[in-house]
Amino acid sequence: MSDTKVKCTINGTELEVKPGTTIIQAMTENAQRIAHYCWHPGLSIAGVCRLCMVEIEGNPRVQIACNTLVTEGMKINNTSEKVKDAVKWGLDFHLINHPLDCPICDQAGECGLQDQYMEYGKYNPEMAESKQKKHKVVDLGPTVVLDSERCILCSRCVRFTDEVSKTNELGIFNRGDHAEIGTHDGKKLDNKYSLNTVDICPVGALTSKDFRFKQRVWYLKDSDTVCNGCSTGCNVKVYFNKEGLFRVKPKTNQNVNGHWMCDEGRDIYKFVNRDNRQLKGRKYGNGSWHEEGHAGVAAKDAAIFLKGAKADEIALVLTGQNTNEEYEALLNTFVNIYKTKNIYHWWPHEAQAEQFDGLLLRGDKNPNTAGLKQALTKHGISTKWADLESGLKSGKIKQLVVIAPENVFQYKDLAQKAALFGQAEHLILATSVKFPGIETASLKTATLIPLKSYIEKDGTFVNYKGDVQKFKKATTVVSEALTGVELAHLLAGQSLKIEVVPTADLLTAESNTRKDQVTLDHRKKNEFVFNRGRL
Amino acid sequence: MSVVTKENKNIWYLPGVLTGMWITLKHLFKNLSNKKQMLTLNYPEEKYEYSSRFKGNHILTVKKDGAIRCTACMLCATNCPAECITIKASEHPDAHVEKYPINYEIDMLRCVFCGFCEEACPVDAIRLGPEWQTPGIKGTNFIYDINHLAYRPQLKGGVQSAVDDQDRLKAGI
Repeated sequence: MSDTKVKCTINGTELEVKPGTTIIQAMTENAQRIAHYCWHPGLSIAGVCRLCMVEIEGNPRVQIACNTLVTEGMKINNTSEKVKDAVKWGLDFHLINHPLDCPICDQAGECGLQDQYMEYGKYNPEMAESKQKKHKVVDLGPTVVLDSERCILCSRCVRFTDEVSKTNELGIFNRGDHAEIGTHDGKKLDNKYSLNTVDICPVGALTSKDFRFKQRVWYLKDSDTVCNGCSTGCNVKVYFNKEGLFRVKPKTNQNVNGHWMCDEGRDIYKFVNRDNRQLKGRKYGNGSWHEEGHAGVAAKDAAIFLKGAKADEIALVLTGQNTNEEYEALLNTFVNIYKTKNIYHWWPHEAQAEQFDGLLLRGDKNPNTAGLKQALTKHGISTKWADLESGLKSGKIKQLVVIAPENVFQYKDLAQKAALFGQAEHLILATSVKFPGIETASLKTATLIPLKSYIEKDGTFVNYKGDVQKFKKATTVVSEALTGVELAHLLAGQSLKIEVVPTADLLTAESNTRKDQVTLDHRKKNEFVFNRGRL
Repeated sequence: MSVVTKENKNIWYLPGVLTGMWITLKHLFKNLSNKKQMLTLNYPEEKYEYSSRFKGNHILTVKKDGAIRCTACMLCATNCPAECITIKASEHPDAHVEKYPINYEIDMLRCVFCGFCEEACPVDAIRLGPEWQTPGIKGTNFIYDINHLAYRPQLKGGVQSAVDDQDRLKAGI
């Protein structure tokens, strides 16, 4: 019985869905537009916003799509005048107490109310009463700010804390006009997933403290990538403009992260921005740092040192924060060209790697530990960290190449490691973030090479359970920095190939087209519905 | 390169020239006899007063208490075709104000004085004022900052905005 399908007709197209599917699920899965606020695919059904109205043949009245199951032969329609009228009035009731805050509201530009109003709005409201005043700028916790006036009581955030984070901090208090979202006395909205409530809020009632007033959303462009915060490998969207990254939001992938991501992962955009980055190549010798130089030149100079050394004297340290392509290129350089097998895996999270909080957060703070292990096994490398320590102490290892982790803030042993690496006769430290403690560490000679972060390159991550996830370059923050592949070529003494993309390909390139591109119809309705990024 | 030579022996251009000179001469006598009607000004000692509605340099209006009216909604910056407006917003300690600009810069050399910023502003916070004679010598800063835009000496303490928060609250907006 379970594999039989239910046939129905939605807006004239015949569909087959699984039994037990609600109408709104059937519609969203088949790319049909339907207005809704309270329904969210990752949460239970509340049916409070009364906006997802549909007309079902045989029923005299319109009814909500989120709480109605599809039955055999059902004929559903949400484009009729009757439905549009119902949505229009429903929307007007939502807006009775909604303040005209759009100019100062962070949600403006990606707001559910704005979007639906452009489509169904009643442009001449008939409400004569003055608006109900409620609390503004309520501090809910360390990450979230609440504006009760803007809230339309869809209860998505309440259901999130009940069902997903299971922390039950939020609730709806008072009745009627006075109803508002709040926390229980003395409690704060303080959990590891609190910022998801901001994402699912269809209006600007919940705003993120971190992103608050930083940018208007229409100045930002977004791109899909994979979070590099831990080995779960959540699918995320990064929002950026020419000044750098501003926020990270989750992207739905049922196999990996569902609809959510953790608060820790949202902070990692900070290390990608210019303030934290190693911008130029640098050299250390005779007890002081020399002037900054070009990244490529620094890498080429480092290659001269490597070429002059014997195979035993060269060692490479890798972390689980680079892409599979980079591991392949680097291992190829060191195993096949320099004939060394002194390749070590720097992994301070080994002891806590199996930790898991039950939802998304994992103890292993590297996105690609599995990928690195696969690459090391492929090249037949099985070394112990203790060998590196003894090798450095005895002076056997002279040329030490370290590919530093991108997210250095997750590495608590940086000071000790800087002291350890400094024992090498010549340390080649390739790092994307300014390596903390390297300025004060005691070094013999050293070369610093800036690397690109995961936002700035194409690549592949393998997560904890072996899911291979490809991601594309989002933007460039430090244009001079090298990718790991480029570094591998330069360290091998080769020159970089510059790939020339034919102009014809540029215009049809995948990066130039977007699935969510707003069509001309929408533009005609409101010019600012489409993203007007300053790039 | 080629040179075209044309032999013009037609002398009928003379009446035209003489008529033109007569008009010039007529104006000279007219101006000498009635100096007050003369259109020419001895700039910069004498200056022409434009209408108060002339759209010149920008003014940021202020509220009754003298604080800047702007809410940093960035609609002017979004609407600006020359992209000459840069705003940095911040959180105001007063929850009713919520958002305010801590930095508002207009690059006057980029500005095309189209008035779109004025048109986009939902709270009458930016206006194009009547001031237009702002030449600069070497070293003059043409990127006007928030203090200059709102409180420069010519504005005598700032221009008050027509849109008031108190009135809006009373009206229930």
